[in-house]
Amino acid sequence: MDAVLQGILLMADPMNIGLIFVAVLIGVIVGALPGLSSPMAVALLLPFTISMEPVPAISMMAALYCAGTFGGSICAILINAPGAPPAVATAFDGYPMAKRGEAGRALGIAAISSISGGIFSLIIFLVATPLLAKIATSFRPMEYFALAVFALSMLASISGKSPVRNLIAGAVGVLLGTVGIHLTTGVERFTFDLPVMTGGIGFVPVLIGLFALAELLNQSEAADKAYERIKAVVVKLPTREDFRRIWGTILRSSGIGTFIGVLPAEGATVAAIMGYNEAKRWSKHKEEFGTGCPEGIAGPEAANNAATGGAMVPTLALGIPGSATTAVILAALIMHGFRPGPYLMKQTPEFVYAIFAAMLLANFMFLVIGLAGAKVFSRITLIPRSFLWPAVFVFALVGSYSYGASLMDVWVMLIAGFIGFVMLRHSFAPAPLVMGLILGKLVEESFSQSMILLDNQWWRLLESPIVDFFFVLTVLSLCWPLISTRFGRGG
Amino acid sequence: MINRTDLVVSVVLLAVCGALYYVTSTFDEVSPLFAQDVPPERFPRMLLWIIAGLSLVLPFEQRLRGKRGAVLDKARSEPVHPVVYLTGGFLVLAVAAIQLIGTFLVLVSVCLGLPLLWNERRWKIIVPFVLLFPALVMLLFGHVLGVYFEPGILGIKLP
Repeated sequence: MDAVLQGILLMADPMNIGLIFVAVLIGVIVGALPGLSSPMAVALLLPFTISMEPVPAISMMAALYCAGTFGGSICAILINAPGAPPAVATAFDGYPMAKRGEAGRALGIAAISSISGGIFSLIIFLVATPLLAKIATSFRPMEYFALAVFALSMLASISGKSPVRNLIAGAVGVLLGTVGIHLTTGVERFTFDLPVMTGGIGFVPVLIGLFALAELLNQSEAADKAYERIKAVVVKLPTREDFRRIWGTILRSSGIGTFIGVLPAEGATVAAIMGYNEAKRWSKHKEEFGTGCPEGIAGPEAANNAATGGAMVPTLALGIPGSATTAVILAALIMHGFRPGPYLMKQTPEFVYAIFAAMLLANFMFLVIGLAGAKVFSRITLIPRSFLWPAVFVFALVGSYSYGASLMDVWVMLIAGFIGFVMLRHSFAPAPLVMGLILGKLVEESFSQSMILLDNQWWRLLESPIVDFFFVLTVLSLCWPLISTRFGRGG
Repeated sequence: MINRTDLVVSVVLLAVCGALYYVTSTFDEVSPLFAQDVPPERFPRMLLWIIAGLSLVLPFEQRLRGKRGAVLDKARSEPVHPVVYLTGGFLVLAVAAIQLIGTFLVLVSVCLGLPLLWNERRWKIIVPFVLLFPALVMLLFGHVLGVYFEPGILGIKLP
């Protein structure tokens, strides 16, 4: 309990609160702008926070993550252009409701559902993180290896178009993580005799390139495209009748979203789609879905925001990212000298609880900002893309350069961006590559340590029941896309 | 049966895997002191085998996924627009010019060049954007965060 209070006190510094407010504001704006995403914004924020103290730095990122997920709903509802992928399902019913002149009501339902989902998941975060960390302290390298392999296998079913491509991208990410000096033997690998490569490939330039530059190139094809002008709206809080209809959906979707968020690699997009589907399945008004049904907005919004708190659980307790954005946060933790995983909870619990407090605060802030600033945010899409994307590139260039004050990092960012663009065209999602890159070291280290402990007899890995458990889960998650396809066809 | 574009992607991936596999054979010898450790080439090789194995599935993936496979062609259904190549080339030139003209002038060039390249002609927005935005970013990173930026051979930087 002391650690919780210490965490809250750490967070209560006026400067920290101010920074969280700024992050929430940026998050809502980024979320509202189609094309800009939370992982991209957090990646661009990373170099800016490197010189900060760890608590405000990570808190800003976590707050931006929460607010960005909510912000996506604004344009999904108002112009049928989801600002971020997790808001795709919100548009199904949000836009039809807005079209019939109830945009304020739709935004109100989205805001209340988002904060409900967010707070629900943070309660789970508060309870589950120490418990999971406690269990994980008994993990040996082999159990960690099995856990990391399971996390990578989850990439197969991450929100993307192709499980095979996701797995390839994940494996390429892990391979990129092997560049540089091999820690146990000191041998240089894939450095091609370039001294700048001996330290390995930096996370920051790759993250910025893949998330920001690849999207810039993608968007350059339609840089002169303008969205329709939106009428200013006043957000209306849900009525008693609305509450009566949506409370069950909010509760159910919050549970679904938190569970999906806790699963390694699965993020808010999967949660939102599942939240929408379940809202429809359980609704007494199925025929209204797609025409502006309140449950159709509450379901995905509660689920996608619940996934944010859920995704922080494995990130902080196990060092396994719960989503693409938490993968970037994980990279930031490593850069700030933390070792994400059970020992983070054991050694600096107040730090973990400070992040919890920041996310809680961010939820209330985006509710207030979202309700009060809807008129302003509804005009954000009027920012011409021909200025927005050059601004993104300026931040990308300066951010990747300032990471190590090296031009090499800018080139890495540029190359990662071009590769990311080619990947997007061929339906390879960038998120698995990022997760692979960040998990790569953990996978190799735990594999090497396991092999040493087991005298290179790999089959002895199966002697551990925890390893067996994770391997069974791995097989299931790899087979899941096939099974779901079968079910899909059958249905 | 076989998607030709995916076949090309698959061949490229296999070629890269082959080349990198060769590179793993050129890693330095490990000192006998570390003989009990996992050799440095083992893990990358495992990954290369996995990538190569998965790459072999790629050309058949659309077929295997039935109707759902059509989505894989959506993003590449149209050829890359020339403006993408122009944008990419412009960005490469911009980064290459940092050492020559300095970071500040490169940022100014980007803020001017990209909108013009994308058919933006509203000078009332372009001019303040070009004058203010790079300066603000440089002030933020250079002065507030203390990042040192390349002044280039012309030595132009913000005071």
